[in-house]
Amino acid sequence: MNAFSLAYRNLARQRRRTLLIEAVVAFGFAALALATGFMIQSFDSLRAAMIQQIGHLQVMHPSAATNSEETTLEFGIPHAVRARALAATVPSVVAVLPRIEWVGLVTNGTRSVPYLGLGVDPGPEFAATRQRELVVEGSYLQGDGGDEIVMGTGLARALGVRTGDQLTLLASTVDGSLNAVDVRVRGLLAIPIKELNDRTLVGGITLVSQLLHSEGTVSKLVVFLRSERDLEAASAALAVRLAPIGPVAIVPWRTIAVFYSQVRLLYIAIFGFVNTVLVLMVVLSAAIVMTMAVAERTREVGTLRALGTRPARIRNTFLAEGVLIALAGSIAGLVLALAVRAALNASGIILPPPPGAAVGMPIHVGLYPSAYLFGLAVMVGTMLLASFFPARRAAHLSIVEALTHV
Amino acid sequence: MSAPRQSSPPPVLEAESVSKSYRLGASLVTAIQDVSLSVASGELIALKGPSGSGKTTLLNLMGLLDRPDRGVVRVGGVEAEGLDENARSDLRRDQFGFVFQGFNLIPVLSAAENVSYPMALKGVGRQERRRRAIELLESVGIGHKHAVRPDLLSGGERQRVAIARALATANLDSHTADEVLGLVRRLNESQGVAFLLATHDPRVVARAHRVVHLHDGRILDQAP
Repeated sequence: MNAFSLAYRNLARQRRRTLLIEAVVAFGFAALALATGFMIQSFDSLRAAMIQQIGHLQVMHPSAATNSEETTLEFGIPHAVRARALAATVPSVVAVLPRIEWVGLVTNGTRSVPYLGLGVDPGPEFAATRQRELVVEGSYLQGDGGDEIVMGTGLARALGVRTGDQLTLLASTVDGSLNAVDVRVRGLLAIPIKELNDRTLVGGITLVSQLLHSEGTVSKLVVFLRSERDLEAASAALAVRLAPIGPVAIVPWRTIAVFYSQVRLLYIAIFGFVNTVLVLMVVLSAAIVMTMAVAERTREVGTLRALGTRPARIRNTFLAEGVLIALAGSIAGLVLALAVRAALNASGIILPPPPGAAVGMPIHVGLYPSAYLFGLAVMVGTMLLASFFPARRAAHLSIVEALTHV
Repeated sequence: MSAPRQSSPPPVLEAESVSKSYRLGASLVTAIQDVSLSVASGELIALKGPSGSGKTTLLNLMGLLDRPDRGVVRVGGVEAEGLDENARSDLRRDQFGFVFQGFNLIPVLSAAENVSYPMALKGVGRQERRRRAIELLESVGIGHKHAVRPDLLSGGERQRVAIARALATANLDSHTADEVLGLVRRLNESQGVAFLLATHDPRVVARAHRVVHLHDGRILDQAP
């Protein structure tokens, strides 16, 4: 006849009230698990998108990590072909993408618009990054890219161009002179961040080197790993392998993706606030119910105490009731959460664009066991908290007063 | 006055000059004042007196359900006032059995479980306490109702379960329990009579008892 046995029987005796508070717990659990699942899903998606865009690690000139360039490729990595080959020898590295970043003007003959240029090795870039998913018109660069470019739809709109149209790229070369090349638009990219969509222009390294007079030099090497778990080991190995080409900084993606950290903090703050309100609601509801349970059973508590039940055992019986409610409510909440998750994922609802993004995403709540375990832990903790003070009060009731309670 | 004994055994329960007052609004009501009573092993004592005379307060104090303002209660020679709540709980569990006026059965437990509850607290094994509970219920004539919950029992049956529960604590064998029950039944024939039952000694003497008269919180007399 342990505390849980007595607790179960007392809960069964007050079936309607037990069902009511279990429904509150189930709702709280489902909301918490779904919100946490959605949050983890968002973090995972955002992290995957970020890594696809900027790689797990970036190899750059030490000054590039802290300073802005005043001239084109001021902080570039020379001997890029050799550096790329050396980096590729690290076992956990699956791809090394050279990139050149520069700024310039693009003109259609009547109108000039500033752009952010990105020079890439088209084949590996297409295979490893999200850029292949962003093509909405035409196609991505082929081979070494030739004299073709792809650009953000916003930039194309500003210039009034479509695929196949001719443009001229203007830029400062590495020695400070002005240079220009004629290019043809091969495809348009719908880049989800509006500011980038309105400015980005991508060309092959060969074309860009010709424009910038930067043969053999790149802004950075973007390194993709087998897994994020390899990050530290790969970073150390890269530092050793790349030592022969001169000083380089190996920067992990989180240092570069300031946006990711900011969005993550924002989500945590929002969901933290919502979850706190949710937990408070459950705590208050449960505390009222547990207080009623203690009040109704005051005489019974007095009897149990008179028979020799220690105060701690009385307290534990009421705490056990809280735990049983949390467990039963969480099981019901699990069913509810799975049903709501299935309904949401099938709904096709498009969420508003997140900060800095141009397009919304279809709602998708991932199935994360950790979110459900978190929900269970919070509900058990919540019910223990809600039960604690009524339970303590019951344990310390005056026996005589309890026995005469009406 | 104590029950006459050939040799005076040491009291198993003793109240010495106990007083208790309760606050009722702004005033302080004295429930009992300077009462001394000792209960020897095997004694049966009835407390009598009008309403408000202090019977319940004295029972509460001697049953360790409450603490006196002054004076001491000793159980087996141990001063209960110096003990913490856990130790007092253990003493009640091991040394006392209570039959409340309203029986106070635990509604979620069956008759047998109500009877065996004090044994469960003492750590008696499940089979053993069930066997003894059914035996005690048979002693009070309702062995066949051992699995029934209190709300489905009649008032008389509840009373018997309450008595069986009190006897469970006393650790009596069924023969001794029968003897004690005879006394309990006789005492219960007259309404308003409370009783103190000390059963620490297994040689319960069925007929030896005192009647203690209380009035205005004081003992008027004790008659055998």
